[in-house]
Amino acid sequence: MVIDLEALFPGLSGTDYRVTSPSDRKYNCIAWAASDTRRWWWPDPPPGDEGYHWPSSVSNEETLVAFMAAFATLGYRPCAVEAIEPGWERIALYATANGAPTHAARQLPDGRWTSKLGRWQDIEHTLRALEGEAYGSIVQIMKRPAP
Amino acid sequence: MASVPASQQAESVEQKFQRLAAVWRAETGHFSSITRMSNHPAYQEIIHLGPAVVPSLLRDFQTEPEHWFVALRAITGAQPVSAADRGKIDKMAGAWLDWAKEHGYQW
Repeated sequence: MVIDLEALFPGLSGTDYRVTSPSDRKYNCIAWAASDTRRWWWPDPPPGDEGYHWPSSVSNEETLVAFMAAFATLGYRPCAVEAIEPGWERIALYATANGAPTHAARQLPDGRWTSKLGRWQDIEHTLRALEGEAYGSIVQIMKRPAP
Repeated sequence: MASVPASQQAESVEQKFQRLAAVWRAETGHFSSITRMSNHPAYQEIIHLGPAVVPSLLRDFQTEPEHWFVALRAITGAQPVSAADRGKIDKMAGAWLDWAKEHGYQW
């Protein structure tokens, strides 16, 4: 299947982005932002229970609050600054206009960002290149001390 | 009222599943949200094929595990994935294949 990333994410057009992995159905963007390539992370609101991973201490809700809480379990805290800061790691959370979380990206040491596109590939991209109809907008940056 | 194309009227369950799966994969591959993936019209049509589509879903697991877990749970009512294996797609698929064998499914 040929995937036209720029058709889905018009913000990529004209920017410096590159595909960095083959497609992989085993982990999603939330997992990749959490540096976990072994599991698919997504809340499982009742009456679901489909078997996906979500931190057990975090409510099973598809809300920004729940997603922030999920990343808080990994040491991330809200911040307002997008720019790279030595000694800190950042993630960005995306949501639709009605507040439904859709995507997360993780900042790389050189200041660029990396995202797993659902069941498709990882890509490196500029922060706002994935904003648009598919993923909505960036609604929260979070950071934690780098190891 | 639009009529169903003649080619689709004569489809077997397997053929219908393959057609719907192809559409679903193309249109939802970039989704991380299980809700968005499973609410897609093609995925919902697969669920509505009911028990007859279960062998197709299981066969598809053996090619490369795919996110048919919502469909299988909706159709069968079962949930065989252990807490330790939550989110591990290969293990989730394996749990469903084991469950299906125990319950007499053939695919």
